[in-house]
Amino acid sequence: MTAIERAERMLRRSSFFMALGLVLMVAVYVRALRFTPVEATQGPAQKIYYIHPPSAWVAFLAFGIVGVCSLLYLFLKDPRLDRLAASSAEVGVVFTTVVLITGPIWAKPIWGTWWTWDARLTSTLFLWFVYFGYLVLRSAVPEPGRRARYSAVLGILGSLLVPFIHVSVLLFRTLHPKAVFLNPEGPGLPGPMLATLLFSLGVFTLFFFGLVTHRYAQATVVDARAAAEADDAR
Amino acid sequence: MPDNSAYMVVAYVAAAVLYGGYAALLWWRTKKLKR
Repeated sequence: MTAIERAERMLRRSSFFMALGLVLMVAVYVRALRFTPVEATQGPAQKIYYIHPPSAWVAFLAFGIVGVCSLLYLFLKDPRLDRLAASSAEVGVVFTTVVLITGPIWAKPIWGTWWTWDARLTSTLFLWFVYFGYLVLRSAVPEPGRRARYSAVLGILGSLLVPFIHVSVLLFRTLHPKAVFLNPEGPGLPGPMLATLLFSLGVFTLFFFGLVTHRYAQATVVDARAAAEADDAR
Repeated sequence: MPDNSAYMVVAYVAAAVLYGGYAALLWWRTKKLKR
């Protein structure tokens, strides 16, 4: 089986996981909106909780994968690592965009303001800019080796922001609440709300892997065709 | 209990548009690749 055939098979399989992720996403919406109790203090806006933190978790996972793959690329020079890092970065930017849109929509009715320039919010916005810049950088450098090297360095630096953002609510005064789920004293949530959050986390993670695998397979097809054309030209 | 369900609806719609839109973009790219 050629590299192009393998990548095309991967495209078909990842399409299935993407579709499954979308269908399960509908299930998350139904469970969160229809079958999860409304929190008494915050009202219905609290239900943004079932899409905002899961999106943030997936964004952190995505940029963590970018960091690890980029670091490994600098040592191994394996183009598959570069492709995986680029795919994960693109999907991570989409999830971070959702975080940056749903956060202010939740903040307005609860905090009374759409945005505040505190450590958690500002560093998350900065993370978005870093990885948007990463994607712009990739499209601006035509030579594959140099593109992979430059973006690997930026990918590693950007991923260092992830642990900082996670602990920023502990290090600085902020309006943003501390972790409810990843709390050392256990998740401070009633059972049905916790079940919905866990379901949402699982579905968002599955959807992420479907998207990344699909994006990776696309990049593999493009690279394999370019390599085949270069061979034919010789 | 505060009545802020409009914020919830807008957030869920925005997330659906972004995720659905990105998935559709990937499918479109794949279709273009197969041509």
